[in-house]
Amino acid sequence: MSRRSNNVRGPTSALTEFLRESGITATSIARRAATAQQNPVAGPSNVNEGHDEESSPNREAREANDEGFDSDHLDSEDAAPIGKRRKLSKKDQEKQKAKGKGKKKKGKKGDDESEGSDDEYTALSRSMFDVKGKASGAKPPMGSFENCVKCEKRFTVTRYTIAADPPPGWLCHQCAKASGADPFKKPTAPRKRKAPEQQRKIVNFDKKVFPSLASLCIKLISEHIEDVEALGDIGSVNMYEIGRVLAKNRCLTPENAPLLYDIKNSQITFHDATKLDPDAFRTLASLNPGLESLRLDLCGRIENSAFKHWESHLPMLTRLELNGPFLVGCDAWKGFFASHPQLTGLLVTESPRFDLACMESLASECPNLVELRLSRVGKMSDEFLEHVGTFDYLRSLELSYPAKSLSTEAVVEVLAKVGSRLTHLDLSGNDLLTDDVLTEGLIPNIRLISSLSLNSIGELSDQAVGDFFGATQNIAFHKISMFRNFDLADKALEGLLAHSGRSLTELNINNWKSVSNDALMTIGPCAPNLTKLDIGWCRNVDDFVIKAILDGCPNITDISVFGCNKLTDNCPRKAGASIRGNEAERNFMS
Amino acid sequence: MNNDVEMKNQEHSNEWVKIVSQDGFSFVIKRDVASQSGTLKSMIGTGEGFAEATSGVCNIPDYRGAVVEKLAEFMIYKKMYGHASPPEVIPDFQERIYPEIALELLMAADYLEL
Repeated sequence: MSRRSNNVRGPTSALTEFLRESGITATSIARRAATAQQNPVAGPSNVNEGHDEESSPNREAREANDEGFDSDHLDSEDAAPIGKRRKLSKKDQEKQKAKGKGKKKKGKKGDDESEGSDDEYTALSRSMFDVKGKASGAKPPMGSFENCVKCEKRFTVTRYTIAADPPPGWLCHQCAKASGADPFKKPTAPRKRKAPEQQRKIVNFDKKVFPSLASLCIKLISEHIEDVEALGDIGSVNMYEIGRVLAKNRCLTPENAPLLYDIKNSQITFHDATKLDPDAFRTLASLNPGLESLRLDLCGRIENSAFKHWESHLPMLTRLELNGPFLVGCDAWKGFFASHPQLTGLLVTESPRFDLACMESLASECPNLVELRLSRVGKMSDEFLEHVGTFDYLRSLELSYPAKSLSTEAVVEVLAKVGSRLTHLDLSGNDLLTDDVLTEGLIPNIRLISSLSLNSIGELSDQAVGDFFGATQNIAFHKISMFRNFDLADKALEGLLAHSGRSLTELNINNWKSVSNDALMTIGPCAPNLTKLDIGWCRNVDDFVIKAILDGCPNITDISVFGCNKLTDNCPRKAGASIRGNEAERNFMS
Repeated sequence: MNNDVEMKNQEHSNEWVKIVSQDGFSFVIKRDVASQSGTLKSMIGTGEGFAEATSGVCNIPDYRGAVVEKLAEFMIYKKMYGHASPPEVIPDFQERIYPEIALELLMAADYLEL
């Protein structure tokens, strides 16, 4: 009875007949069972893929018999592996499921060896018929021609050919799409069940973070806010510090802000007023009627109604500093100015609504203005400057970072009017200003400026700045800040040090990237009174420059050297002076 | 022999640090408990070369004994429960703070980065 070469087959059982007709073979089933556990169902289209391990002893026999089943062969195949299965199935069922499946499938479908394997049996039937037709018949080899059972057309069998439902037969691509089944859809991966140990370890990220003592204290204080005696002797504590700590923890709320209010208060500073709503601002005014100076940072929620309230409830207010009052509208500003003719300081940062009409109103209602800051005011333009020029008492002027840069002519004009009295000037961020602003605006007009900031004005040239410091008749500066002016380098630095070196306490030349090492070496000896220095991104700073500074400036407390790559680990240090930004230092956060 | 004893003493002396308050009260706590506070950790750490590192004594001159005592208590609390995972129940510390010292304790907590 040669099984190999001829097609004669002896009598077979109904089962084997059925299996052969449907094209179910041992190879395909075993492979499918094995790979179904590991990856999404691999199409049995690759008929000649490798088998999994446990079948290898029987591989030869099976390969010789891949057309169908012989009952003889069936038994012999079953004997060995099923014996194995019996022994092991008591132990690690999950692991053996795959192998068991494979072996089971090799056997008869209606096998009565169902010991403890109802699971496996049903799994078998499920995967046999559940898979979308891909495996329920032996797919003809790729590239061969088949007739579509629906439209009777001839088509080429590909990897994506779908079997017709009901079987048997195969559908051409169009009919497959028409029937709704997407041939290209990847089969869903079988859902893996986690081992029980793994399931228990759930990390809950929404659990509370360990509270800090500061936050606990703040909560406690908020609870006792009404009961002032409970909080002990407040007088001994600096309320400004409390306010600072509250703001630092971002916990300043309408509930605990009243802690800082007092009828005798003359000034209030909130570094973070984010949580205060307009009502809270009204309360602020009502409870601090004697307020003369008010500073609110991050006060985004303040708006017109609160401003209106302030008009009548802060009669003594002379200085108002607001960072971020973007909701306050033009009329509110105008009303406020009208009610506070005694205003001496108005410092506003970030307001898109402060416009020319407001500026006019300010100029006419508050002629005594001493301090003016309009930083990041979206509507600022040259026309504003006409009105700025009318303030006779102006000492401190900042017109920085407008949405559209001021022009040189307008700036020159306003400097002609007010420049001689100014002690602080900041024109940062006006990137259209040219060297002429130095020659025509600053040099002829300024006399008393001690703090000068000309940051981010890209058009300024090295030569012009150097000449400016040479030619200006201003007194020696105390604070100079000219960061992010790319062209400035040696001439500017030399001029600066020659003019003001001895009196400089703060210097910021961040991003003067071409300043030479020699010029930097002169900072130490020429500026002995420096306390704060920013030489970040000046590429030629090295350890010797730092040493010169530490030696030459006994009062230095803060040196910023971010981006100075030539600094090494051996950069000198000094007690009391913090050098921030040295990348080579192991302890980067000093 | 003598050397051995000395080394042992040094190790022991490293283990404890003393925190002294404004009115002279001192509290002796373990070094790793004191390190729960960022400020104290750098004071007693050997990296910066502060005097406290060698002497093992930290002065907190701005705050009274009652406040510093509560600070020490919090540091121990933090050391014990700081790394507790969710199933463990963490006792409440807020109820242990006397309201009378709350304001000063807030400032001290900010200073010590607790």
